[in-house]
Amino acid sequence: MTEQAEPTGRPATPQMPPAGSRPRLLSSELAPAALVFAATAALILGLKLMIPGFGSLQQLTAIMVTAIFLVVASFGQGLVILTGGIDLSIGTVMGIGGMIVANLTRGSDAALLYALPIALLCCAGVGVINGLGVALARLPPFIMTLSSATAFFGVALGMTAGSSQQSVAPALQRFVAGHWAGVPLPILFIVVFALAAALFQNRSAAGRQIYAMGSNPRAAAIVGLPVAALTVTVYGLSGLCSGVSGILLAGYSSSATLDMGAALLMPTIAAVVIGGARVTGGAGLYVGTLAGALFLSALSTAITALSFSQGLRSVIQGAVIIVALLLQSRRADRTAS
Amino acid sequence: MSERAGPLRALSANSALPALVLLVLMFAIYASRDPSALTSFGLGNLVNNALVLAVAAAGLTLVVLSGELDLSGSGVVAIANVVVATTSTGPIGSLGALAAALLVGALVGAVNGCLVTVFGLQSLAVTIGSLIVCQGVALMILGAPGGEVADAIASGVTGDVHGFPIAAIILIGLAAAWLALKNTRQGIALYAVGDDATAARLSGLDVRRTRFFAFTAAGVLYALAGYLFSAEIASGDPRVSDAFLLNMFASVAIGGTSLMGGRGGVIGALIGAGILTVMQKMLFALGVAEFYTNIFNGVIMVAAIFFGQIGALLLGLNRPRAA
Repeated sequence: MTEQAEPTGRPATPQMPPAGSRPRLLSSELAPAALVFAATAALILGLKLMIPGFGSLQQLTAIMVTAIFLVVASFGQGLVILTGGIDLSIGTVMGIGGMIVANLTRGSDAALLYALPIALLCCAGVGVINGLGVALARLPPFIMTLSSATAFFGVALGMTAGSSQQSVAPALQRFVAGHWAGVPLPILFIVVFALAAALFQNRSAAGRQIYAMGSNPRAAAIVGLPVAALTVTVYGLSGLCSGVSGILLAGYSSSATLDMGAALLMPTIAAVVIGGARVTGGAGLYVGTLAGALFLSALSTAITALSFSQGLRSVIQGAVIIVALLLQSRRADRTAS
Repeated sequence: MSERAGPLRALSANSALPALVLLVLMFAIYASRDPSALTSFGLGNLVNNALVLAVAAAGLTLVVLSGELDLSGSGVVAIANVVVATTSTGPIGSLGALAAALLVGALVGAVNGCLVTVFGLQSLAVTIGSLIVCQGVALMILGAPGGEVADAIASGVTGDVHGFPIAAIILIGLAAAWLALKNTRQGIALYAVGDDATAARLSGLDVRRTRFFAFTAAGVLYALAGYLFSAEIASGDPRVSDAFLLNMFASVAIGGTSLMGGRGGVIGALIGAGILTVMQKMLFALGVAEFYTNIFNGVIMVAAIFFGQIGALLLGLNRPRAA
């Protein structure tokens, strides 16, 4: 769908700053990420001023810990958006991953040995099916992923009745709540995950191929990139990330429901867009998505701290997406002119 | 548009025809299992069940024809529903509630249209944003399912005139309005812009105005769907499920409208909504567990789009587009 010609005609090639333009402190791609990190800091400082009790170390740690689900899932969403697609199955796949682990472990740690691989395999499998539909059957990504989400939600609902009666393996709960040398394990996980994700997306050969494919699929096919294989890989990775995120979420809440990921689908899109990725594909850094995920997590904590209603929370979240898109289009206009 | 170019061409011009065949087939299976489907009560019930989806899908068709996407539909339905549920028994009455709902729909549509045409934002991403905002606004107006819908609205929509269901009259009116619009300058522009925006601009059509019109009209129709939804359930519910959004797109696609724009029409979407409604009844009559309809919904959606693309390819209509 997004491969459709855009009437306003943005350049499809990666935007290089014209030679002789005034030197910038930050490259144009890094600027949005820096801006979002700054906004996150400003948000936390602002809250500290408004609410006297806010901003303790525990609270900041809590923001980081709850960011883990979004950090992991939005990496997959970011890759898919990089190819010019969108993954609307993330919420359902998270639920499926969490439910499989909860139902297979039934509170025993030993069962994790086979429960984790099975859950991750299933989640990646849904992603691979999405990828096949997009790459081979040439279905619009939002249709393919929305359809598979609906269909697999039905399958899972038929098999599990919607929520797990069993509690998740205690080891998983200990991991999400645990510490190592005083640092919460989820924060260490985020650091390691973010490094690996950034290396894959912005330093590896496969990452570069995904960028090339996203900015111009036809040219990528002509120069001999394995477009179909790359697309399937990207959607498969997105399914895998959703699965990991769902399993962590199940550990965090110590049980699982099938619709527990639904609230995280839209934030994954928001995180990617806020981070400066182009929704038509081909541009955006992982560090931007990471910044977006941390910002949204802080925003969510802020909304809770200010005891806003669930409705207002949605309004703010949607508005953040639209504002980010508007800022992005102004930036694109500037670089284009 | 050549008029005598062989039967294949004629079939493609009437892209809703395969959907109509499917609708009749499914209805036959359903009626063979459940003879009450053929009574006037059964038929009226069916039309009432399809009404909300059909009207919302008709709105979405306008945007899709113009070559854009709109995911805000289920959000507008939710807002219109809670507006009706909170105001219709108050001083503004049922007509006032209708006007308020349609106004909100037009507003959301106009904002979407403005963001897409004036600011040049990608419609899919923008309307995801406005979908979330709309869902939030609906929750702010009505925090939990409840509220009250005036009896006049409920009986006015679900009732009948001399045995003829009012829902059917609304759908016929909608179809007639579409057939009238289709041949106006605005209707032709809709197809032209969706088919090839550059060519449309070069031949003097105002691409932005056409798309703005499509988004605004779609918003009004979503709101009308929300109003009708309030009449059907006779209360307010701020959470309209994501499955409704998928069903809207499924109705449009099954009805033969290309998601790339420029091909199809509202009649197809009405038939598509009918197919999805009959399918649920058919599966129920066949004894398939209710949650498995999700699976059928997903599969039929993918199949409809896939075969639509194959059909277009066979007819040589799928001209390559610039990447």
